[in-house]
Amino acid sequence: MKVIYQLILLWLTLNLTVYLFREKRLSWQLSAGMVLILFILRLLLIK
Amino acid sequence: MKTRLNFKNLNFQRGQPIFIFIMVVIICFFTGENFLSLHQEDLIIPSSGLSQQLRLSHYLPTLANTPGNTRVFLFEGEEKGGNVLILGGTHPNEPAGFIAATILIENLIIKKGRLFIIPQANLSGFTHNDAFEANPQRFSLPAQDGLRWFRYGSRLTNPIHQWPDPTTYINPSSQKLAGPESRNLNRAYPGSKEGSLTERVAWAIMQLLKTENIHLAIDLHEASPEYPVINAIVFHERAAELAAMTMMDLQMEGFDLRLEASPPNLHGLSHREWGDLTSTLAILLETANASHGRLKGKPSPQLIVKGQDANYVRAARLGRLFVPFDEEGIPLKRRVARHLASIKSLITNLAALYPSQTIKFEYFPSPQLLLKNGFKDFLQIASSSK
Repeated sequence: MKVIYQLILLWLTLNLTVYLFREKRLSWQLSAGMVLILFILRLLLIK
Repeated sequence: MKTRLNFKNLNFQRGQPIFIFIMVVIICFFTGENFLSLHQEDLIIPSSGLSQQLRLSHYLPTLANTPGNTRVFLFEGEEKGGNVLILGGTHPNEPAGFIAATILIENLIIKKGRLFIIPQANLSGFTHNDAFEANPQRFSLPAQDGLRWFRYGSRLTNPIHQWPDPTTYINPSSQKLAGPESRNLNRAYPGSKEGSLTERVAWAIMQLLKTENIHLAIDLHEASPEYPVINAIVFHERAAELAAMTMMDLQMEGFDLRLEASPPNLHGLSHREWGDLTSTLAILLETANASHGRLKGKPSPQLIVKGQDANYVRAARLGRLFVPFDEEGIPLKRRVARHLASIKSLITNLAALYPSQTIKFEYFPSPQLLLKNGFKDFLQIASSSK
């Protein structure tokens, strides 16, 4: 189950990272960055 | 819906996204370090009366190296007598139980019988807290060598350790509950050897009750002042006489206490399953904790320790609470003293009812001294560790 959990998080983290580098507006980049923090922590199983 | 990652048009030329990404990594490092600090066990300094320190994996080996492998402290007298289990920290956001168990471990000396103490029954629940409650991660109490910090956890097992929650949880005693309750230790009894982490912890505790022939088992809890079952002894029907005698003792000591019979159809809870499936007399104790309630103001370490809250004073004036609540609040030392007085009385009355199950103390931390002087005399210095 842990592997499935991490695969889902990895998928979402990669999407957010790609979005961060494609987006031109600063506010949207910041928003992506803030959400990315939560996903990276969960990806590393830190809560 | 797109299901493939699109790496086109990535902008690595401008510094802006790179700067934000670096900031994300830095914030992750510091917040991650902070979260991980919650995975370090709280300091408990056992008294010289400690006979043995075990782990719960002693009763279920598959719990070894898991976040459910909590500490079990055994105090054994020179003479044979009764066997008693005290459980704190079933719900890590109810600190009076965990602190009462800690004070017992740090001070107790036993002459006769055996006392098992599990201060942090749901150890995984101590590794996180309820973010949406804005609860603090820790609170401090005065110890003999300065302030001692304790974790303030969550009612439930950490989802990192048990995922996902089912939509409907059918617990090992076939009761249907909401999905997140699958991580509530006090809904998981009698547990399951092959089940989830929470169910395995419950199963190991049941094994302890059976293999150690526990005569009396006490589960320490807290509840919000607006909850009807409060300042109460919840008892299994076989423990009714013991609970009634204890209630009278506590009333005489100045602790108002009510009796609540364990509902026969409410399965999965300690006071029901322990009593139904083992020979132990099962008891659950509740105190009133303002930091636990829905009416509380801003959550803070002061609210946990001092138990003062203006909203609850107002609610008491409106007659909405089940306990008296004034500007003095209900401080942690009073809640812990209530637990200690109840434990002492239960063990004394067990001996009165069943002389072969006597436990004699050489030293038992005094609830009255705790009320008068606070925690300082009862939380030991680290160098005095056995």
